[in-house]
Amino acid sequence: MKNWIHRVFKRDRPHKIQNNAPMSMGMPEIPPSRAEAMIKMIEKTQEVELSCDEVHRLLGEFAEMAMRGEDAASLLPLVHHHLDTCPDCREEYDALMQILQASPD
Amino acid sequence: MAKRTNEQWLSNLHSAGPQREEAMAELSRVILAGLPYALSKWLSPEDPRFSALAEEVTQETVMRVTARLDTFEGRSQFTTWVYTIAVRVALTELRRAKWHEVSLDELLAEKDSDDEPREMPDLSPGVQSSVEKKEMMAMLFKVMQMDLTEKQRTALMAVAVRGMPLEEVARRMGTERNALYKLLHDARLKLKNHLEKEGFSAAEIMATFEKE
Repeated sequence: MKNWIHRVFKRDRPHKIQNNAPMSMGMPEIPPSRAEAMIKMIEKTQEVELSCDEVHRLLGEFAEMAMRGEDAASLLPLVHHHLDTCPDCREEYDALMQILQASPD
Repeated sequence: MAKRTNEQWLSNLHSAGPQREEAMAELSRVILAGLPYALSKWLSPEDPRFSALAEEVTQETVMRVTARLDTFEGRSQFTTWVYTIAVRVALTELRRAKWHEVSLDELLAEKDSDDEPREMPDLSPGVQSSVEKKEMMAMLFKVMQMDLTEKQRTALMAVAVRGMPLEEVARRMGTERNALYKLLHDARLKLKNHLEKEGFSAAEIMATFEKE
């Protein structure tokens, strides 16, 4: 594990990863914090994910579960996963929670 | 006035005459009351643009809600459902205003940016540059060149690296947010599978970024 990067670049590979075509075509340099965000996105990827519209349909239910102190992430795991992956939906969820937290009931 | 139940909201909004008028007026009040909280991270209620935006969002939300009453499934309070629509309308407008001068070409041609990525959970800050990380990114780029379509690369760079909202990227690419999410999902899946075939899990790669 510790020297895995060496393995990536030096070992015989079954695929054409050593392709030497310039990889910078249209590819700007990525600051490390952004690279980390991108790799996290890849890491979290699941075979089956809900779309933004599907999450939008369930967002109110998910938010109310969270407001009641229920484990919304376990009860609606695909919604939770999407919110972890989609910045737009996450922003909308956060904005919704701001309203619900401010409402007396 | 007592709070309406979900059934009363639906019944009143479906009715005709004064009951409907009163329900519509109440709906507008509910939306207007919620917006300052929803937009607290975006726009202060004291900002001169706030009241015009709130008016516009309220009108659009009332229109959508009344047109889509039959799609309300009763999974939440009616007002919570209304807020999900109001929030979507408002943030769509704010994102459009914030990014309207930025083209995808300009965005991707930027050398670098000091802006932090948009706030996401678990994003540990302070990762420092290192040769190993640069090599890692170079490898990831190669995989992106091999496995992804031009569209997928553009979308991934714009969203994950440059922090442009999906909605804004979608508009520029002539598609919709839902379809763009699917495009990105396919791209992420391809990258993940490729890296795993090479014998590396994304978690393992991540560990390189986390260790200092």
